Amino acid sequence: MSAAFASSSDSKMNNVENDNRTVDSVKKKSFGDKNKKNDTNANSSTVIKVKSVIPRRRQDLLKWYGWGYKDSMFKLGEEGATFTGNRYSIGGKILPHLSKWAIDNLGVDPTKPPTIPKIPTTFAESRLPEPIRLELEKIALVSVDGMDRLIRAHGQTLKDMSQLRSNSFPRIPDAVIWPESHEQVEKIVSCASRHNFVLIPFGGGTSVSGAVTCPAKEMRPIVVVDTSDMNSILWLDKDQLLAKVQAGIIGQDLEREMRARGFTVGHEPDSYEFSTLGGWVATRASGMKKNTYGNIEDLIVQTKVVTPRGVIEKSCRVPRISCGPDFEHIVMGSEGCFGIVTEVTLKIRPLPPVVRYGSLVFPDWESGFHFEREVARQRLQPSSIRLMDNEQFRFGQALKTENTWGGVLLDGLKRLYITKIKGFDPAKLCVVTLLMEGSAEEVKEREKKLNAIAAKYGGIPAGATNGENGYTLTFVIAYLRDVAIEYDVVAESFETSVPWDRTLALCANVKRRVRDECARRGIHKYLISHRLTQTYDAGCCIYFYFGHNTAQVSDPVNTYEEIEEAARDEIIACGGSISHHHGVGKLRKKWYTDTVSEPGRQLLLAAKKTLDPDNIFALANMAFEEQGNETIVKSKL
Amino acid sequence: MSEHVNFVDILEPRRTQSGIFSFMSRNWRPQRTMVMDKYCSTQDLKDIVANSVYLDSIIEAECSRTGLSKEKLHQEVRNYLEEMGLDKKMHVIRWNGVFFLKICFMMKIKMFVNEAAVLTLKSKMGKNPVLFLPTHRSYADFCLMTYLCYHYDIDFPAVAAGMDFYSMAVIGRRMRETGAFYIRRTLAGDPLYAATLKQYVRTVVGKHAVPIEFFLEGTRSRSNKSMPPKYGMLSMTLMPFFAHEVNDITIVPVNISYDRLMEHSLFAYEHLGVPKPKESTGGFLKALRSLNDHFGNIYINLGAPLSLREYLHNDTSHSKETLKPVDLQQLTPDQFKKVQKIADYVITLQQKNTVATISNLLSLVLMQSLMKNRLLEYEELIQEVEWMVQELRNLGASVFENDVRSSVDRILVVHRSMMRLDKDRRLRLISGVLTDLSSEDKKKMKGHILQAQTMVVAVPIVQLQLYVNPVLHYIAPPALIYLIVQRQALSRDKLREDYRRIRKLLSHEFFHLEKDEENTFNKALDYCIQNRVISNSGDLYSLGEDTKLQYLLRWATWPALTTLLKAADVMTQQSSCGHKLALKLVQQRLESERVHPYCLSLEAIANCLSGLVAAGALVKLKGDQDIVYELVPDVMKESTILVNSILPSFSVDFANNFVVIDDKAISRL
Repeated sequence: MSAAFASSSDSKMNNVENDNRTVDSVKKKSFGDKNKKNDTNANSSTVIKVKSVIPRRRQDLLKWYGWGYKDSMFKLGEEGATFTGNRYSIGGKILPHLSKWAIDNLGVDPTKPPTIPKIPTTFAESRLPEPIRLELEKIALVSVDGMDRLIRAHGQTLKDMSQLRSNSFPRIPDAVIWPESHEQVEKIVSCASRHNFVLIPFGGGTSVSGAVTCPAKEMRPIVVVDTSDMNSILWLDKDQLLAKVQAGIIGQDLEREMRARGFTVGHEPDSYEFSTLGGWVATRASGMKKNTYGNIEDLIVQTKVVTPRGVIEKSCRVPRISCGPDFEHIVMGSEGCFGIVTEVTLKIRPLPPVVRYGSLVFPDWESGFHFEREVARQRLQPSSIRLMDNEQFRFGQALKTENTWGGVLLDGLKRLYITKIKGFDPAKLCVVTLLMEGSAEEVKEREKKLNAIAAKYGGIPAGATNGENGYTLTFVIAYLRDVAIEYDVVAESFETSVPWDRTLALCANVKRRVRDECARRGIHKYLISHRLTQTYDAGCCIYFYFGHNTAQVSDPVNTYEEIEEAARDEIIACGGSISHHHGVGKLRKKWYTDTVSEPGRQLLLAAKKTLDPDNIFALANMAFEEQGNETIVKSKL
Repeated sequence: MSEHVNFVDILEPRRTQSGIFSFMSRNWRPQRTMVMDKYCSTQDLKDIVANSVYLDSIIEAECSRTGLSKEKLHQEVRNYLEEMGLDKKMHVIRWNGVFFLKICFMMKIKMFVNEAAVLTLKSKMGKNPVLFLPTHRSYADFCLMTYLCYHYDIDFPAVAAGMDFYSMAVIGRRMRETGAFYIRRTLAGDPLYAATLKQYVRTVVGKHAVPIEFFLEGTRSRSNKSMPPKYGMLSMTLMPFFAHEVNDITIVPVNISYDRLMEHSLFAYEHLGVPKPKESTGGFLKALRSLNDHFGNIYINLGAPLSLREYLHNDTSHSKETLKPVDLQQLTPDQFKKVQKIADYVITLQQKNTVATISNLLSLVLMQSLMKNRLLEYEELIQEVEWMVQELRNLGASVFENDVRSSVDRILVVHRSMMRLDKDRRLRLISGVLTDLSSEDKKKMKGHILQAQTMVVAVPIVQLQLYVNPVLHYIAPPALIYLIVQRQALSRDKLREDYRRIRKLLSHEFFHLEKDEENTFNKALDYCIQNRVISNSGDLYSLGEDTKLQYLLRWATWPALTTLLKAADVMTQQSSCGHKLALKLVQQRLESERVHPYCLSLEAIANCLSGLVAAGALVKLKGDQDIVYELVPDVMKESTILVNSILPSFSVDFANNFVVIDDKAISRL
């Protein structure tokens, strides 16, 4: 082992050794003082220090064994389900229809006590040698605490959750380090190169591809680089509508700071409460409102990335450049395998004066789909436009809170109108939700046009409230998986992008395939549902939700993964992609080469060889293999 | 400098019946420094700064750091801009011009300008910002360039002025209206003010098509010679170039030499520790009365314009700073080093443009007479001055006057309260008046409290030294070479080594550029050999036979070397000492010994302490309230030995000197 450490200590980075300024000025920091960063250079500096919602000890605020905030979760019970806490609109309210829906659709037994895991007390010993730990401590705060390491060993895949709840990860990181600046990251990467240990960049931990999950076979020490202390806004140019931000900032902090100043980034993936800017870049993220603000690749002007071979950064801040392949695109979607994104320059927009929700009801999926296609053809998409299938529509109804009499009455009237007068079949109808932004005039104009197109496809307006509910539930849906697991249901979502002409067939085929797979395994209580969440000129994004009761299954996670794999095979056969925005990670490696072609895979390997020849960022995502003991020995011979 | 520079008295045409009024009320279409599509008003400038991305960003950061409201900070920026911002009111300028000319005539001043340089400069204007960087020896400097620009139809310079003037009733406002902008002396502790100033200066340079004028030395040099430059203001003014907002910046070094400084007596007192009176309009009016006197000539010598772009060899390398919004771009450490280099270089250009006046030469002669304690007859005096003219020309100085006799007569009138011919037509220095400082004054004294008797002797001699100082930078290099050789004959290498060390120790007292030293040394050595100050055989340098020149060289640096040695002695004893205490202790030590009175100068002592720091004999640390010096014993010991070995020995009685004449009747306070 020591030989392996020593042999790679020749110069990887040339600008590090001689700068021991921080070594002298290092302060003893505690977990409590996250927002008390050293104030040097604070004078006449343009840096806006952001106070993050999430503390350095994430487990103090966030659920260690599942999604989101500790105080927010679904609870099923005999007298009706609830959602706890007061962070979301349904927080603290009774959900009278949810339990029944769960019983009917997934065979849940709400009388049974939920299985809540006990907080782990034993952890794998940290393998980080003492001298290296001391060296790292001179750069930034380091922890080898078991819990700190455990909660950063994973993302949010079903397998992650299952292993987390049973504390059965084959490998967890050996230490966590919190750099505060690009310069500190450079030092950390240099240290890792010198001593040949593994670095895993960790932002919000919301990955659903296994990308951030600790590689099981890795023998070298693994240090997680938690970027959450790198969350300052370095500068903000309201004229140019640009901001340079440290990559560790989480979405809600970024958006809150921008809104407080009259601006918005407008990038809102469903995870944006917890996911980070750097994470968005590394996965090629997509946000709900991409029609107005663009996906991450449209938002980014510039990135700065520390690789073991130095820093990649374009030398100019320009709107476009014709200069060979754009290496920003090597960074975007690199899934942590090449280095750490430290700073990002991105576009910001003035806050829209009017935000208006809307909804439309269509008699069935197909008419809803043709409406979406037409809207895209005419490029009339509002900030967000989504089509939910009937299962999701009904699930949405199940999440309705107790209403006042007037509200219920009104709902009743609407339903009467839609089902009796318009003759829509309640078991077939689909809903489109709309989010429109702009000046009052623009919004009004747009709504009029959308309604006109909807009318052509048999759709009728169903009010702003339905639309708004649809969007506010977005962030709550992620909590469902936790309660599902607690009642023996495994569930997960997966998504794809597909050309318009193949969309309808893909949706039908995938649903059919999942049903067949369930039937083959004797699974009768399950849910398969989809929605169309993004539209483009050339196609759309389809999002599937699948969950099943595990009562009849011996290895629920494995079974689920088999079925999802079958579904993905079907997707790809139908002309869909490996992923629209979740990324490849470790879960979808199987389809990577086929997707990018063999020369494409070689190109990726070549990039790795150039940027990270010693595989410091040994995440083994996409086409990269996990590095076990044997490979190290081989490479050293 | 060549001697063929043609100086023109630009006040001459105004000395007619209606010369002032018609000139000041003429239709005036000045040459701007830049041709632009749209010119900014002075209000536009302030608005641009207040709305700049830079200040917005600073405010955002400041407000998230301190929790203060943005409106409040915006208002603060607005207030700062009102405080610093320049204005331009043509009628004020015209009336000020009338006033200025009236005073000039009252002071019987002639204002000599090397017209050719001004006209060349003017013909090249229009493409990029222009900086006027004059020497700063007197408050009068503020008006001179502005008047010069009016005379030559160049737009009024925006002049950086200290806050001292801001608080003066009426005058503060009038100065603003003639293009002055105000800056606080210290930017520490108020980041928002610093940011506002930075952006304002940058905006004025980049967007206001008028020359920018400020004093590199940061303050009036009380010693009438060059001081090491301050870098802050130059960094701010050059920023538009480094941000590529402008293509080039033209830097014009300007030397302003005075036959007589209005402030010379105040300066003499300041050297000895009596603080300067606060600037006030009342004081100004009082001073006006004393201006009804002869002040002689002022020489404004514009140096060759320096193209920043050429100086940096068209360096278009760019830094990561380009990735920032242009408003937020800051100097990189490397660029700051370049700014420092430029500042140092410009100071040497100012020195090269020094006009040695008869005032200077006569003072040299009188000082030498004091040193020798020997009176000079008028004819002898003229010969001596002529000899000085020759020697200084040999040393590369430009001496404008050719008719020595009439010039000496003129200067004797100008300086009649400092020196005069006695009844036997021998030149005498007029003694000071014994005044007891009040206890109030004593409390304000900056250094050691000197005895009244010391002050009486010292004040006139320090004052005289002020006129010797401007030409010392010509004399110092050969003087030091001579002093080293007269210790004992030595090789060129050893000579150069000792010269280098001693120059470093005196680097603040005699400002020079390290990189020019090789050249300066060679020239000075050649000069010494050619003039038979020293001679060489093979590689051995020994004394030559020109004893007259040797005598001049011997005493010229005597005060500086004495101060240096005493400072070294005191610091060796103290081993660790605050700056203020060090000044007091050195001054106290010097008072008790028979030394040249200029040694008592606090400025000279401070320069010597800085020199010891530069040479590594002291380490300068930032203490809680004051700078603290820590001794480096080995280096200090070596330095002391070196200085001691070359220090010439003189025994001059300044208190009872034949050359000094006691004229109780004349009071100059």
